[in-house]
Amino acid sequence: MARVAEVLAILLIAAFLFAALSGPHPAESALRGAVVERGYDETGAVNLVTAIYLGFRAFDTLGETIVLLLAVSGVVVLVGRHR
Amino acid sequence: MRKTDILDVVARKLAPYMFLFGLYLVTFGDSSPGGGFQGGVVIASGIILIALARGTGTAEQLFPARNLAALETFSFGVFLLAGVLGIVVVAAFLGDPFDRDPGGIPWFVFLLNIVIGLKVAAGTGLICLTLFREA
Repeated sequence: MARVAEVLAILLIAAFLFAALSGPHPAESALRGAVVERGYDETGAVNLVTAIYLGFRAFDTLGETIVLLLAVSGVVVLVGRHR
Repeated sequence: MRKTDILDVVARKLAPYMFLFGLYLVTFGDSSPGGGFQGGVVIASGIILIALARGTGTAEQLFPARNLAALETFSFGVFLLAGVLGIVVVAAFLGDPFDRDPGGIPWFVFLLNIVIGLKVAAGTGLICLTLFREA
C-alpha cells in the first residue's frame, strides 16, 4: 500500500513538473523584457544576472551580506568560544 | 579517517587551482557566469579542501581565524562605503558613482563583486574552520 502511495506521489509530481515546464519557455513578462532591454545600458554588466543582483537590486545583496555576517558571528560566538 | 599520501598530494596540488578559479569567477562576474557569491564559495571550498586533507591546523596556519574575521568585516565596510559613495556622487544609496564607457569594465559592479567574493570566501571559510575545529 505504501509502495502504491509512493508511485502515485511521484506520478503527481511528474504531472505538475510537466505542466509547468512544457509551456513557453522562458516565460515572457514585462519585467523580463525590461531587464533584457535596459540591463546592460543601466548597469554596464553583460551578465544579466549580475546586472540584477548588483545593479537593480544591490540593496538586496547588502541584506544578504548582513545575513552572512550574522551567521559567521553566531557560529564564532556559539561554537568557537573556548579557544 | 586515515590520511593517505594520495589525499595529501592531490589536495596540495588542487587547492591553488581552486583559489585561482574562484578569483576568475569573482573578477569576471560582470561578463560571464559566476559572480561574487559563487566565486567566494569556490575559494572557501579550497580552504575546506586543505582543512579536510591536511587537518585544521595547517588550514589555520595559512588562513588564521583572526585574519578571516578581519577580512570579512573589512569587505563589509567597503561595501557600505561604496554605497555611501553613491549617495555623495549620484544622490542614491548604492548608485553607480563611476563613469562608464560602453564596452568597458563596469567598475562599480566589478568592485562590488570583488568585495562580496572576499567576504563570502572569508565568512564561509571561517564558519567551516570553526566547525571543523570543534568536530
